[in-house]
Amino acid sequence: MADDTQKDTQSQAHKANDARPAEPAPAAPAAAPPPSDAPRAPEGRPPEGRPRDDRPHGPRGEGGRGGEGRGGEGRGPREGGREGGKRGRRGFYRKKKVCRFCVDRVDFIDYKKPEQLTQFIQERGKIVPRRITGTCSRHQRWLAEAIKRARNIALLPFGGAR
Amino acid sequence: MDERLYDLIFICRPATPEEEVDKLVSTLEHAAAERSAKVEKVEKWGARKMAYRVHRHREGYYVLLVLRGSHGDVIHELERRLKVNDAVIKYMTVRLDEDLKRQKHLAQRRERKAARRPRGGRSHGHAPAPGGGGEQQPAAAQQ
Repeated sequence: MADDTQKDTQSQAHKANDARPAEPAPAAPAAAPPPSDAPRAPEGRPPEGRPRDDRPHGPRGEGGRGGEGRGGEGRGPREGGREGGKRGRRGFYRKKKVCRFCVDRVDFIDYKKPEQLTQFIQERGKIVPRRITGTCSRHQRWLAEAIKRARNIALLPFGGAR
Repeated sequence: MDERLYDLIFICRPATPEEEVDKLVSTLEHAAAERSAKVEKVEKWGARKMAYRVHRHREGYYVLLVLRGSHGDVIHELERRLKVNDAVIKYMTVRLDEDLKRQKHLAQRRERKAARRPRGGRSHGHAPAPGGGGEQQPAAAQQ
């Protein structure tokens, strides 16, 4: 029983603590007019008083939000991504990428035709990942091999500026 | 043993006279013939810009030989000759028969698939079903 009463008292105390900041907050606007009337001496107090009373609130609120924000930097984008995804279904329509080689029914990618391969290398000679080009895994494998062969015989660059 | 198919590409210095390239090609053909391999095709791409500098050259005279042989020794011999030749600045041999075999196999499989389901073969796999159905029905009606 004693424990319960303690808890009750604690909870009451908490309530009281919670309530306290709430009280000054309404009080502050009420107090706001007086400072305008008598801004000289007590000038410091109301502004200070407000922050002090509000801080328990502010830091909690900010801290909570800020904590989520900072800690969530890892998460944040993901959550954003989720939201984006939800929006994505309605708003942005992401066109489904189709493997160009599959569309053309390509069975063999010739390394001797660098003009065709240049579409799949970046400016500096990197092979463009398939998450960007949409090439299927099988064709990407063939493509990579063809590009590497072409590089060996100087049809395509290994990379680097000339 | 299966016959093997090779692509043999080599690059000569751009200043090499044409006759010298021809001479080199003919000697390679002879060497290949000695080892019971056949040069099926000779393509001279001519001087073209290389993607990077090789032996301080920005251009090279490309020659492609397509070889058919049953043994890898031919390649060994031909590459040795290319290495010895001063005019050649780069060469590469690629074995292609396995890739081509795969290509053939895939083409056959596709044909078989197409024969089984001519409609499925024609319509794009990614096209929505109703659209594909709509296209197919009029076609059937016309037939």
